[in-house]
Amino acid sequence: MSAVAQAPARAAAAATPRRDRRAALTLALPALIVLVFLYALPLARLLSLSLHDDAGFSLEAYGRILGDAYGRSLVWNSLRLGLITTAITLVFGYPAAFGLAMSRGALRSLFLASLFLPLAASVIAKAFAWTILLRSHGAVNDALLLLHITDKPIRMIFTQTSLIVGAANIFLPFMILPIYAVVAQIDPRLTEAAATLGAPPIMAFLRVVVPLSLPGVVAGVALVFSLSVSAYVVPTLLMGENYQTLASAIAKAFLLVRDPALGSAAGAILMAIGLLVVVVSNRLGRASGRSA
Amino acid sequence: MGRSLEQDLTENLAAAAHVAVAGLSKRFGASTVLDSIDLAVAPGALVTLLGPSGCGKTTLLRLIAGLATPDQGKVSIAGLDVTRMPPHKRNVGVVFQNYALFPHLSVAGNVGFGLKGRRLTKAMIAKRIARALDLVQMGRFGDRPVTALSGGQQQRVALARALAVEPNVLLFDEALSALDRNLRETMQVELRRLLKDLGATAVFVTHDQDEALTMSDQVAVMNAGRIEHYADPRRIYARPATLFTMRFVGISSELRGTVGARSQGRVLVDTPIGQLQAEGDQPVGAEVVVATRPEHVEIGPAGLAPDDPDVNSVAGRIRQITFHGARTRIAVDVGAQPDFSVEIGGGSGIPGIGAAVRLRWPSTQSFAYLAPRGAP
Repeated sequence: MSAVAQAPARAAAAATPRRDRRAALTLALPALIVLVFLYALPLARLLSLSLHDDAGFSLEAYGRILGDAYGRSLVWNSLRLGLITTAITLVFGYPAAFGLAMSRGALRSLFLASLFLPLAASVIAKAFAWTILLRSHGAVNDALLLLHITDKPIRMIFTQTSLIVGAANIFLPFMILPIYAVVAQIDPRLTEAAATLGAPPIMAFLRVVVPLSLPGVVAGVALVFSLSVSAYVVPTLLMGENYQTLASAIAKAFLLVRDPALGSAAGAILMAIGLLVVVVSNRLGRASGRSA
Repeated sequence: MGRSLEQDLTENLAAAAHVAVAGLSKRFGASTVLDSIDLAVAPGALVTLLGPSGCGKTTLLRLIAGLATPDQGKVSIAGLDVTRMPPHKRNVGVVFQNYALFPHLSVAGNVGFGLKGRRLTKAMIAKRIARALDLVQMGRFGDRPVTALSGGQQQRVALARALAVEPNVLLFDEALSALDRNLRETMQVELRRLLKDLGATAVFVTHDQDEALTMSDQVAVMNAGRIEHYADPRRIYARPATLFTMRFVGISSELRGTVGARSQGRVLVDTPIGQLQAEGDQPVGAEVVVATRPEHVEIGPAGLAPDDPDVNSVAGRIRQITFHGARTRIAVDVGAQPDFSVEIGGGSGIPGIGAAVRLRWPSTQSFAYLAPRGAP
């Protein structure tokens, strides 16, 4: 279907590959310059910091993190937060994206507003809002007491549960939006075609809609995982000092302990984890959505 | 399984298929899209629903496929009432406008889509995919991604996909309209031959009158949610039942007048430029339109009207000459609106623009219709 429209465009692209490449470079140049100076150079500096001690080249900082039980627990805590948050946002976000795609008019505006407005609020404000809700005399406990569901406040703040609830809430839009963008593009006639070929609705969904939605899922997973694995504010406010992640270790290494090699190594490990997920999910996305 | 797909399709379709629609109505909000439609499709017949956009033809097709539910009326396929049956149980093959191929699947994946979950072995499925692709001459393309195919090839794959499930009836929704003109005409002929060879029952939806006349055994001309005329293509063109059909299929050359006399299926119509005879049975005094096909009109030098009651004749002046290759269309100003169209083969020997001419055409090719109120 789209191939009909793509064919002439592809022919034109083949005719002037050099000019197209030059145009692409020119258009990307401003962003490239900004990225080189504000991102690539500091990143190179960070990597080189992590590979040096007073004597010169050294992997000592990496050894201090990965060779130590506490250091490994930092990595594990970060990974855990990333994985659980990604899984929960996927479970809630996937159907929500379809709801958004199917809604019309005022309902859709309401849905979109409730997705975008929280993005405008600072993550600190949102995390702090959760601490107010979940503290021992917060709104949730007051309601439970009032309804006699419990006779004394339940400890909710500074627990794993509060961390996951808060993180999932804050990162949910980053799962819903990419899935919604892909799902909204799926031609509704494809499900009709599947139905006329004998597929009951559930099979049409599994065999047509799900595979075609995968590129959105992959994008959402990559986004939410890389955001939540490196989250700093959310675990700090909702879990407090006794729960350390790679992100909080980086802050501490630079700001309190003044050990730039350690902080840089933690940053490099975190980046490697995020990069791995982005590359793998990109591969999966390309394989699944190759012709989508 | 010594049987071929052709045999299966031929026997199953010829024996069982038969589509009947009775009193079918569909409203969207305040507008009535289909108004109590009756339609019967004989086994093995190729039927086209022809009409302008918004006439309800696509809605009718969707109701037959089960992709929409009617407000009133009944749909039956192969003798079975399917009105409340969901589409996946109806065993219909639909070729969609722009084909609706699954972009994440290969050609073979698309064709085999409807064969999964039908208690067929992998080998049987592969065999049926290969046969269906061979039928549409796409046998070599099985492992290509569908997005790499041309429009004509996608059309063939969509047809193979619909054929592979051995449907009771094939439904085509503007299936050829995305192809360019030459390819479309080739596909029309090829598709008709294939469907006839298979003995398939098919319903087409199109707004293209040439396609309807070329491909169908029967044409249902639709307008504003109703069927205006349901007949074979020759009759639709040669003796349209309604003025709408006369105007929508082919060109209609018309004059308005009032019925002056009536006898035995014929009327004498008084127009401002003379009396005409036409087929019709409108009452005396009725406002009518007398219409004929432009190719029945002879054009000659100005002169007296012939003294033959079976020939209608008016005088006029050539306003415009349009060359259409094999034929030439001439618009003649006969002192009425709009101009009277004449069509002749070739293009030589036509008097120039402004020339006074006399037009003659047989009264047996003149049809009287009640004049629509308001519009010309």
